[in-house]
Amino acid sequence: MSEQSMTVQRSSVARQQAQVSTFAAFRATLRRDLLIALKRRNDLLNPLMFFLIVVSLFPLGVSSDPNELTRIAAGTVWVSALLASMLSLDNLFRADYEDGSLEQLLLSPQPLYFMVLAKNISHWLISGLPVVLLSPLLAYMLYLPADAYWTLLFTLLLGTPVLSLFGSIGVALTVGLGSRGLILAVIVLPLTMPVLIIGAKAVADVSLGLPLGMHYALLGAILAMSLSLAPLASAAALKISVN
Amino acid sequence: MWLWFSKLGSPKWFYDLSGKWLPWLVAFMVVTMTVGLLWALLFVPEDYQQSFTNRIFYVHVPVASISLAVFPLMAIAGAITLVWKMKLADMVAKCAAPIGVWFTGVALATGAIWGEPMWGTWWVWDARLTSMLLQFFLLIGVVALRSAIESPDAAARACALLSIVGAINVPIIKYSVEWWNTLHQPSTPLTMDSNSANGPEIWVPLLIMIAAVYCFFVISLILSTRNEILQRERRSQWVMDIIASERV
Amino acid sequence: MSASAVAIPATDHDAFRQPLLQASALFCERDERVLFSSLNFTLFPGEVMQVQGSNGSGKTTLLRILCGLNSSYEGEIFWLGEDIDDDREAFLASLLYIGHRVGVNKILTARENLRWSCALHAPVTDTDIDNAMARVGLLGYADVPCRNMSAGQQQRVSLARLLLSPAKLWVLDEPFTTLDIQGVKVLETLLAEHAEKGGAVLVTTHHKLDVPCELRRLNLDDRK
Repeated sequence: MSEQSMTVQRSSVARQQAQVSTFAAFRATLRRDLLIALKRRNDLLNPLMFFLIVVSLFPLGVSSDPNELTRIAAGTVWVSALLASMLSLDNLFRADYEDGSLEQLLLSPQPLYFMVLAKNISHWLISGLPVVLLSPLLAYMLYLPADAYWTLLFTLLLGTPVLSLFGSIGVALTVGLGSRGLILAVIVLPLTMPVLIIGAKAVADVSLGLPLGMHYALLGAILAMSLSLAPLASAAALKISVN
Repeated sequence: MWLWFSKLGSPKWFYDLSGKWLPWLVAFMVVTMTVGLLWALLFVPEDYQQSFTNRIFYVHVPVASISLAVFPLMAIAGAITLVWKMKLADMVAKCAAPIGVWFTGVALATGAIWGEPMWGTWWVWDARLTSMLLQFFLLIGVVALRSAIESPDAAARACALLSIVGAINVPIIKYSVEWWNTLHQPSTPLTMDSNSANGPEIWVPLLIMIAAVYCFFVISLILSTRNEILQRERRSQWVMDIIASERV
Repeated sequence: MSASAVAIPATDHDAFRQPLLQASALFCERDERVLFSSLNFTLFPGEVMQVQGSNGSGKTTLLRILCGLNSSYEGEIFWLGEDIDDDREAFLASLLYIGHRVGVNKILTARENLRWSCALHAPVTDTDIDNAMARVGLLGYADVPCRNMSAGQQQRVSLARLLLSPAKLWVLDEPFTTLDIQGVKVLETLLAEHAEKGGAVLVTTHHKLDVPCELRRLNLDDRK
């Protein structure tokens, strides 16, 4: 065998090994974050409780008239989901920053994109997915028309990961700050508005009998774009914050 | 190439050059601003529909067009900061953000003043106003982040990153707001076409005003950047020389 | 060899060994204060280098710069003759850093912590973890949540990573602070063993290092 083909073979083996270990590191990170969340029940319950409470503020604050509630149901559920996602963002990197695990993550020889993605996915599974699953119950309480349930569920399913991904950039930028206050919300909320607009509008439109292809396509496009770009931005932001 | 680039990025070079340009820029601005304002306020024929209030248009349009340019400017400066670590780019970005907040604020305010006689209300959730408002929020986020991070170096890079993310998001916001808005209010009374269809006596003063306001923006940016340069380079010899000569 | 003797390898000796880590003309300032300038050093396989300096002299900053965690510096750093930014993944694969904050999550058990932090480089088996825990004196603590451990024990958990990692370069920031006498001994033995196997160590400590291998000193107070 020629020396060249040996080298080629060796490098392809090396690449394969690298892929295997990247996947292993990705899985280990995902598993670790889920484990931490499972051990701290509060992390799981608090966003959900917050979601429930915020939604129930609206009938109390606006009106308990079914007709009026029907009209604001979609927006209410979406805004509450957005706020619940914001509230839970702090769990994403804060503890890791404080105990030094974040430095270990940044010094991993694996591509940082996948490590951040693993953390974002686990954040969504912990705080986003429960909200999505609870949303039909709240929609019922707000007299959302029955035909809009699936739309609400699907748009939330497409939209809440974007909230986690965008939020992650904001947390990564502010994780090193001693006093964060509301700066996280000031940075992240404007970024998430397109998702809110499209999601809430989809639910409103389905009640009017309008076609929804466009809404799903836009949400899907935003999700695809943020899946591919947001973890890169988060990774860059983490490097800046840890500096 | 590198020499040229590092020279361009040198704060001293910028300070000297901008010092030479400033008087000319100020003179140009004074002339265009006077001519533009007088023309717009006194000589432009009154619109039969909008009466006198439509003259705020001559302030609103230039200011709004600059507000739209601020985010791309900050994103480009941010990219230069991140890639080449050029200090000057960050100083410009840092100074552009609060100026951008002001311009966006003025654009919103003049839009509201204009809207009141036309729509009978100070605020309409019109596509343009809404996306301008969201951009206002984004800019405030950048300014807030800058003031929250103590280390100037970290603040520079964090804000650079946020500006780039924001600049990518601005068109998405704009299109989603427009799309959201079109179905609610199929026709907005606020369209430029009705104005640009008018004769040159309407749009020539507008062009002059745009030039004047752009000039004003550049002057504010240069002045504030020069200030920033003096502060950051206060330990370097050439700044000390300037200070010494000022004292004499 | 006593710790006070500064063992500098003879120059002809150097020629046969490829340096692992090289720093050239490092300059760093923080808050308008120069921490160090024109700092040069070379680290060869089999060496332990102790970074010294008074409080605030930039020891931690230097270590973080060398790992690539801190990028606000001027100068160049080479790993095996290549700039560390050129092939970052190769460099990180041979680096093990334990910082001031040791990277141990308090909610997880020692085993879960080690499993994750090792998996970032290369996965390890449970037996490996048990052996490493025994070696650092934490036999039977593998499944105890780390919040129930003392600071010294948490430090030991992080030191178990030294045994589980194939990395050639260890960068340790104040690893001795919370350790008891016995823990100090264990760590010193680990350092010596690593050096013997051809690895290299950069360590900051005010502790008087007693290691039976080549020990070099880098004093940051002299580099203003």
